[in-house]
Formats: sequence, C-alpha cells, structure tokens
Amino acid sequence: MEKNSMEEFQRSTVPRKNVIEFRPPLYKQRYFFVKDIVNQYKPKKVADLGCGNATLLCMLKFHSCVQELVGVDLLMDRLLDWNSDKLSPSIGDHLGPRDLDLSIVLYRGSAVEKDSRLLGFDLITCIELIEHLDSEDLAKFPEVVFGYFSPGMVVISTPNSDFNPLFPASTFRNSDHKFEWNQTQFQHWASNVAKLYSYTVEFTGVGAPPPWAKHVGYCTQIGIFKKKQPDPGSWILAKPTGSRVSEPEEHAYQVVFTASFPSLQQKHFLLFVLCTEVLKEVEAIRQKYVWIMKRKESSEPESEEDTDSGLVRRPGLFLTDAQVAQIEKSPKPYSVGKRFYVPLKRLIGYPKVNRLVADVSTLRTLLAEGIPMRMNRAHTSVQIDLDPYDYPHDYR
Amino acid sequence: SLYRERERARAGEEQRENPKQTPCCQHRLKPRVLKELQLGAGLQALSLKGKRGLGAIFQDQVVNTRQYLEHVKDSTTGTQGRVVKLFTNHFRVTSRPELLTYKYNIDYMPEIEDGKVRTDLLCQHKHVIGECHIFDGNSLLLPHKLQNRWGKKIVKVTIEFCSELKPTSLDCLRYYNILFRKILKMMDLKQVGRNYYNENEATEFLNHKLVIWPGYSTSILEYETSITLCADVNHKLLRMQTAYDLIMHVDNKSQRKDAKEISKELVGSIVFTKYNNRTYRVDAINWEETPRSTFKKSGGEEITFVDYYKEQQHGLVVTDLTQPLLVSKGKWKKSQQDTPHEPIMLVPELCYLTGLTDEMRKDYRVMRDLAMHTRLDPEKRQHELRRFMNIVQNAQRELQLWDLKFDPNFVSFSGRIMKEVRILQGSRAVRPFQSDWSKETRSGPLLNVKSLDHWLVLYPRRNYGAALSLLQSLRKVTPTMGIAMRDAKMLEVNDTVQSYTTILENHVSSKTQMVISFLLSFKVLCVLSSDRKDLYDGIKKYLCVNCPIPSQCVVARTLDKPQTLMTIATKIAQQMNCKMGGALWKVEIGLRNAMFVGIDCFHDIVNRRKSIAGFVSSVNQELTQWFSQCVFQEAGQELVSGLKACLEAALKLWYKHNLFLPQSIIVYRDGVGDGQLQALIEHEVPQIRSSLKSNGFLSIHVTSDTRFAMLFFLSENKLTCCIPVLCDSRYDFFIVSQSVKDGTVTPTHYNVIHDTVHFTPDGIQCLTYRLCHMYYNLSGVIRVPAPCHYAHKLAYLVGQSIHQEPHYSLASRLFYL
Repeated sequence: MEKNSMEEFQRSTVPRKNVIEFRPPLYKQRYFFVKDIVNQYKPKKVADLGCGNATLLCMLKFHSCVQELVGVDLLMDRLLDWNSDKLSPSIGDHLGPRDLDLSIVLYRGSAVEKDSRLLGFDLITCIELIEHLDSEDLAKFPEVVFGYFSPGMVVISTPNSDFNPLFPASTFRNSDHKFEWNQTQFQHWASNVAKLYSYTVEFTGVGAPPPWAKHVGYCTQIGIFKKKQPDPGSWILAKPTGSRVSEPEEHAYQVVFTASFPSLQQKHFLLFVLCTEVLKEVEAIRQKYVWIMKRKESSEPESEEDTDSGLVRRPGLFLTDAQVAQIEKSPKPYSVGKRFYVPLKRLIGYPKVNRLVADVSTLRTLLAEGIPMRMNRAHTSVQIDLDPYDYPHDYR
Repeated sequence: SLYRERERARAGEEQRENPKQTPCCQHRLKPRVLKELQLGAGLQALSLKGKRGLGAIFQDQVVNTRQYLEHVKDSTTGTQGRVVKLFTNHFRVTSRPELLTYKYNIDYMPEIEDGKVRTDLLCQHKHVIGECHIFDGNSLLLPHKLQNRWGKKIVKVTIEFCSELKPTSLDCLRYYNILFRKILKMMDLKQVGRNYYNENEATEFLNHKLVIWPGYSTSILEYETSITLCADVNHKLLRMQTAYDLIMHVDNKSQRKDAKEISKELVGSIVFTKYNNRTYRVDAINWEETPRSTFKKSGGEEITFVDYYKEQQHGLVVTDLTQPLLVSKGKWKKSQQDTPHEPIMLVPELCYLTGLTDEMRKDYRVMRDLAMHTRLDPEKRQHELRRFMNIVQNAQRELQLWDLKFDPNFVSFSGRIMKEVRILQGSRAVRPFQSDWSKETRSGPLLNVKSLDHWLVLYPRRNYGAALSLLQSLRKVTPTMGIAMRDAKMLEVNDTVQSYTTILENHVSSKTQMVISFLLSFKVLCVLSSDRKDLYDGIKKYLCVNCPIPSQCVVARTLDKPQTLMTIATKIAQQMNCKMGGALWKVEIGLRNAMFVGIDCFHDIVNRRKSIAGFVSSVNQELTQWFSQCVFQEAGQELVSGLKACLEAALKLWYKHNLFLPQSIIVYRDGVGDGQLQALIEHEVPQIRSSLKSNGFLSIHVTSDTRFAMLFFLSENKLTCCIPVLCDSRYDFFIVSQSVKDGTVTPTHYNVIHDTVHFTPDGIQCLTYRLCHMYYNLSGVIRVPAPCHYAHKLAYLVGQSIHQEPHYSLASRLFYL
C-alpha cells in the first residue's frame, strides 16, 4: 500500500545522530528482492497484492519468464495518472517484441476478498501489506491468499518492530499501520499459516541492522512461503494449476487497466521481426559478397577472408565454429545479373534467424507471406539488388 | 542538386532542418521547429520554476502592433477578388465565460524533485482537492475554491491560493492542454514526444524494415477572442534498425567503415532507447569505451553497462562487448548552454534509429511507399480529423467537469481568390497555367541573357557520358532561350575535393590575366557522381570564397532519365543564367522606386555552429537583381544585430544603380515566432529605421507560420487567396500562394508591424502575392515572397556548406540559387 513510507524520508527530517540510512533505499531493496525471487523461480503468473503505484509491476514486466502480471489495490486512481504509460507497451516493445506473451491487469479490490481470476498463480507478493490490515481483515487474509488463491509461492514482507528503536521516532513507520510485529510475532503467525495451508516457510529480510545492533534483525522482515509438493499418492491435492474447474467464478475485483504486449508468439510480430532480421542478414551477406568479388577482380593476393568462411564471418556476428561449419555446408549465396540470392537453407543457419523459426519450410511460408517481392520464383531464396543504388530504370 | 531543389521549392518545404533531426515522417515538414525551440528557451525565464522544466509557461506575448498603424484603424480587410469559403484544421472550444477556475501553487517541504512523487503526494489528498483537478507539477487548477489549508507531518504539502482564472486567460490554456492530453491518453493513444499515435493502426513496411504509426498533433490555442483546438494528422516513422546495425554495416570498399564515416552518419541523429521509451540525440561516439566500462549510479556505486542493463533494470542482454558507446549531451537548451552536465552514455545495440536517412530519401521505392501512406489530400485529411473529433466527443464527461465543449466542426473563414499575375518575359506576357509557367519560359528568349563564353565542365571519369549528354541538351535548349553558348572546356577530375580544387586552380589561373573582367561570365559546371555533401561543400566553398566564380553542381543521376533530360537541361541553363547575373522574367509589381529586403536566419543546431543571417535587397526597379550580405551570429541567435550596416550598404548599391535613393523600403522578415515579436520590434526595427534618410518610408512585414499552424482544406486544386485575420491587436493576413497537386497547403501568415508607406490592405496583399512570383529557381509561385526565400537560400548555403563570408564580387549575383 504505502511504499514510500516514512523510513525513506526519515533521514532528512531527524537529527544527524545515529541516522539509519539504506542504500539503495529500503523500498527498492524490497523490489529487488522480489526480482531475485522471480529470476530464481521463473514464475509465469505473478500477482502483487497492494501494488500501490505499481512500481514493482513496472520492474517485473521486463522479466522474460513472466507472462501474466496482476496488480491489486484498493486505491487505483492515482496510479493511472502516472504509471499506466509505463505498464502499457511502448514503441520499443513494438520494435523489439518479447519472446513470450505478457498481459498486465490491474484490479481495484482488497486482498481479503476472493476473486477467481487470481487462481492458479505461481507467485503472489504482499509487500508491506499486512500491517495495513485491521484485525478482522488480517484474520480473513490467510484463507483468501493461501486457502483460496493458493499460489505456488507467496512472499510477504512487513516492518520488523525490533528494528524501530534504531529510528528516533517511536511511533509506527506509517500512520496507516495497524500494527508492527517483532520477529517472533511475525514468525509465529507465518508458521501457523504455513502449517494450516500446507506451505513451507523460510524467513529472511532486507535492510540489515548496523553492526552494533545485530540482534534486531532486518528492518523489513520477509517470509517466503512455498506450497508443499502434493504427495504423489494423494490425487485429491493434485489440482492442476491454471483453473480450478470446480470453483464457481467469483469476480469481486474491478478491472481498471489491461495491457497486452506484442510478442513473437503473435504471428503478426513474428513476421515483422523475422522479415527484418532476414533482410538485415541478406544485406550484410551481400555486402561481404560484393567485397570479396571486387577483391578477386582486382586480383589482390588471396587471403583467409576470401574463403567461404570469410563470406560467413563478419564483425558483429557471433558464431561458434560449429555454426560456421553448418552454414558453410549449406547452399551458397549467388548472383545472377543484377540480382543477389541467399538460399533459405543458408539463412536458417544464422542464429538470429534460427532463433525465430526452427525449420526452412516455416521460414519459407512466413517470408512468402511477409516479403513476397523479395523471394525468387521457387521461394527457395531471398533476392535483393546486387547494387542497391544502381536502379536507373526503376526510376520512372 | 538542382533537381532536388525544384522539388523542394514546389512542395513548399525548406531544408532548414537536418533530415536526421526529424524523427517524424510528415508530408508537411515543419521547418520552423528550430525557431520554436529557441523561443522556448527564451521564455524559460518566465516560468515559475524553470528548473524541472515542468510547467514552464509558454505564453505568447500579444504585441499590439496595430495601434501605431493609423491608416488601418477601421479595417484591415481587403476587398479585391472572388470570395470563397475555407475550412481550417481548427475547432472552436467553448466554455461559459463567467465560469472561473482557481489556481493554486503547490510547495513541498522538503523539496521533492520527482514529478511522480509530487503528484502521488498531492493525490493522497483527493478528499480535499476533489477528483476534478489539473496538476502540472507545480500548480493546481481547480474548478472550485478550497475552503481550508492543511499540512502534513512528514512532507509538508502547501497549497497556496494563487489566482482566479477566466476560461480564456492564457494561463488557462496550459491546463487545458494538460487536460486534453489526459483525454488523448484515455482514448488509448500513445504519446511520443508531443504527439499521440495509434499503435493499433500501424502499417508495417516489411520490405523496408519500417513501421508507420498514424497519429495526431494537437494544441489548444488562443485564437481571436476565444480558444480553439488545432489538430493535425501526423505520422510516426519507426525503424527496425539499431545504431549497432549501422556501426557494423560493412562497407563495399573496406571491411568496415572507419570511425569518421560512422560518426558522420550517427552524430546528430536521434536514437530511441527501448527500455525507457526515451529519445536521445547522439552527440559523439566514444570509441575508447565499451559496454564493459563502468559508470556511477545515482547511489554512487560503480557498475558496468552490461550488468546494469542485465541485472539492474531490464534483463536486457548486450551481445557485443566490444562495441563503442554513444554519447548524448542531453537536450540542447540555450539557457543551459553554460551549465555543465554529465553526458549520457548509450549502448548502440539498445538504441533504435529514428527518422529517415538520406539514403532512404534517395530510395524512391521507400519514398513512394511512405508517401502513399502519409500524403493525405484535403478530403482524406478532413475525414481523419473528423474521425478524431468524434472520438474526442466521447470524452465529454471529463470535459464537462470544466464546462468545456469542443465544436466538432472545422472553423471556417471566407477568403478571396486573387487575380492571376502576368509574367513578363522580354516582349512576351505569359499567363501561368496552374501557378506554373515552366513550359512558357522555355519557348522564348529570357528577359536578360548572359552568354556563356568561357566556362569549364568538370566531371569524374565515369560520368563522362552524363556530362556529354548534358552539354548536347544544353546546346539544344539554349538557342530558344536566347543564350549564346560557346564550347566549354571539359576537364576530368577524380571524385575528391582536392582534385576539383587543383584542377580549378590550374585552369583558372592560366586565364586570370587575360579574362579577369570576364571572370564572372566564366562559369564552372561540375557533374558530381553522387550528391555527396562533403564534395559539394568543398567545391562551393572554393568557388564562393577562394576563387569567386559562379558554379553549378549537377548530380549525375538526375541526368539518367532520357525523358526528363531536356527539362533538366532547361532548368540548368536558366539557373546558370541567373547565377551569372541574367534574369528570367519579371512581374509588374505596381510600386515604383521601392527597395525590397528579405531577412532570414539559418541555425545549425546539430553542429552548434554559428548562426547565419541572410540579408538580401533588390538592386533595380524590375527586381531582377539582388544584393546579398551575411551576418555571422552566436549559435541559435535569431535577432540580427548588424542590420544598420547591411541596409546602408544596400542603399548605397541601390543609389549606384538608380542614381537616387528609394522612396520606400519594404522589408520581409522571415521566421520570427510570436514570442519574439516584441524583441524584434525593440531590436531590429530601430536599426532599420535609423539608417533611413528622412524622406524614406518603411514597411516591415513578419512572415511566419508558427503561431496558428493552420491548414486549409481547399476543394479547388488551384487557389491563390488571402484571408484577413480578425485580431484587434494586429494587422495581419494569410496568403496561400503556391498550389499543390497532392497534400494540403499551409498558408503563410503575414503580420505588418510597421508601415509608414500607408498601404491599403488590398495593396499590401497584392504586392506580397506578386513577390511570390519572383523566385528564379522555380517557374512557379512559391509560398513566401522571393526576397525571403533568397535570404533563406543564402543563409542556408553559407551555414550548411561554406561557413565563411562569400566573396564580395559575388554579392550582386544569385550565386546561392
């Protein structure tokens, strides 16, 4: 909820003595902590409860593994003033689409309400959320998050009140906090929850204490909950992640924002990126080809550059020896009259093309659709002008 | 370059901007962007808190120039011509005039720099300020008055009442623009720079690795006594190429291009970084550093670029660890030119290139495909804008909160179609057909002919054929025009500046003693194999400064097409004739004993070079000869300082030719934005007046198209008209002089700021229109009066190619054509 809370501003308003200063700021450390978790476990579907101004979501959208990002918060209006731009695909996302689809949805809603659209997630984060819940909501929280949403993993962070004496002010860190737990209180609560809903829990945190007060623990305490792998014998627990068909649809949340990112899974963008990469590659091969041709004409002494691997290699293209050998084996580029041809069988060997399509027949189908004018009649090669600036008769 | 030139002049565009600087692909180029930029800088001082750049007030100073113009006290409207109805791309915004809004200043204790945090903190108090508010980062606009003040414990947000605003107050416009942007965002349009684009209607050009996003540029302006929304269709061109692709581009000649060549292509271009959706101008390439180099983060810790992009931010992988880094000094602002700030380093692989390169411009296939999508005829443009206004209507709820309404109909005017102007060529009078008389001028002798006696033709070996065929064609076309042409001396050169200058040195010096008086009829014709800028610059510099001879450069490729060869040869012959001091045609101006002056500036923002002011003045009554002078100024300086000296020299020459001083002087000053008008009146006008003898009359006109950025949708293909603008404080009018076959015309706005000649509105409008016929590089009507365009051409040539004062002996020739 309130992420830019007091601890960040404290240092400028309190006396200089014993100032606790975190670098990077603590709220950033919490986000980087979640990023590390995402890097480590590669979740596909991630939800952030109490997402605030969606800063965490903005950071997580860059992770290639994440395909569905959801943010839930009670207050959503102020978010839309600033951050909706950052959550929508930008020009860059169109020019360099992601490998996998990504959709982002923001809901207005509470972490203690059930909504079936949050079922089947791999990771749910509740960063500095629970301390904003009153005792009634706090009681409902485990049943909703662990019992109902039941994601593969939950990360919960909350202030550690053991640390508070190090701050000059003796109140809560934020005026909206209903409580601030010490390490024992949090661990007690978390262990009970984990036990009840068959999760394991481990404790860590961010914002290490100064050396002279090691005992107080991290400024922010974090619990990482992992769902226990179902016993292979008990089929009852082995619910498929995704959707629980038996559950009725419940839509308590209100959608306030949706975005869907361009990706190579969408044919439209695949076609665009593929045609671009192919044309870039063909253009680069052509230039090398013409260069070698000219050297041969001027009968300069042969060098390693003039061999076929000289034609393959060029600065900026990183190939293993195996890849070079693979390309060398394939049909060679050739020119007929003013046209220059690169066989598809050769193109497929280049990693930037190969990354996008695995086989020649797919490549052929896609190129025939995208750039039919640049294909030879048999659709086996891509053709371009041998000298792109020599087109007097093309001019009308 | 002649062929290119013709096309430019026809399209009414001017190549003041470096092509690399326009990331936008637009049919109607906005040549005055640079001036706006500078205007913005000048107004920074007016802003409340300029340092964040947020909420700087862009306020047009309304300068009341009409109060001194006694003779047009009653009416500035002309009466001549047939009246027609015109539609513009403006939409009236209506609001209840009595509805007041309230402006509050917002302060933070301690000071918060981050605009996002500022908004965030303020929005936490929605219960106080309400849902309906506009916040620009510094100040808040509310439709109601706040009852109380309050503070907060940690960060004190102070809301201080500032003023009540009427809906038409200029201050309000800024908030309305913010509000309108919010609406555009709600319409799911993507903001890029100042414009909004619709990604869902993107068109991909797979063959060219390009994408075009259609979009809109909008701005809410004060117009007459009310507010209008000015909207236009705009296209964003995106390229699928990174700066790295360009650096790695293997050249045909060498294995890899050298650093100099790459810098030439990259420096000055705008790149777009994917990860933060921002654009940067490339100022240099740092070859010493690689993505493995480190930089200091804001926190102070060192990190390599590779790690930063991979781990810290975006999971972006940099594959080539040996690539150089791009350096960007950030946005250039005149007000900040002395304050040092850290340059930004960028990894080429992550930088997408924007805008069209010269290479792409040369590729007719690319240009044809783009033109099909971006050139809209008036009907299509109107249709698009109507569609846009329909979408805006959907956002009525947001607007109603502020009691604003956008009229979905185009603001319309009545204009007048003026009489066609007769073109006099020798004893013949030609009536232009569709504002074009190129056919007619070709078929008879020119007004004033210079013979070609001693001239050189320089050509690289492989263009020998082109040079020969040009000579043959010239021989065919010159007799009808009355040009006597002797055989030229053909000289072969290599394709280097050095080779051109050595050859010129040898052949000019051997004749110098004999033909020194012939020097100006000694003509050099260079056939260039490509339009390489360095070569062009080198030759022009040599022949304008070191060895002043009129010269003509021809790009060999323009001679490739046999069917247009004769047309091109005619153009070249005419242009050479002008450059040697001849004249092509004249127009009955209707004003005797007047000297005409054109002033325009060229700013080379890309290289941050000195700005050049071009000053052109008429020498004879027929307006066929023009005297040119240049003033070198500080980079970015628009207002000219040395005007007094220029005008005195101009008057002296006029006297020499006519044996008396001109009765009146008519000055056309181009490219001054409204914000600079007051400064112009204070700085330039007194200079001009002080050099005037007691009996002289003076009329000064400011030509510009910055303010209204108005478009006319004309149903008639050919139209020349002028429209009075009903603004109480000024004496101004629009003229659409050129006619276009496709696209939509931008009218030229004229503002009379000083007039002791006492022209009637009809008189000045007619005179201005006629002057649009006097530009010798195009047998047609151009969009500004000829002196303006000559001044522009002069400043452009000097600023772009020569960078030095041209030799005095050339000053009374149109050598800069």
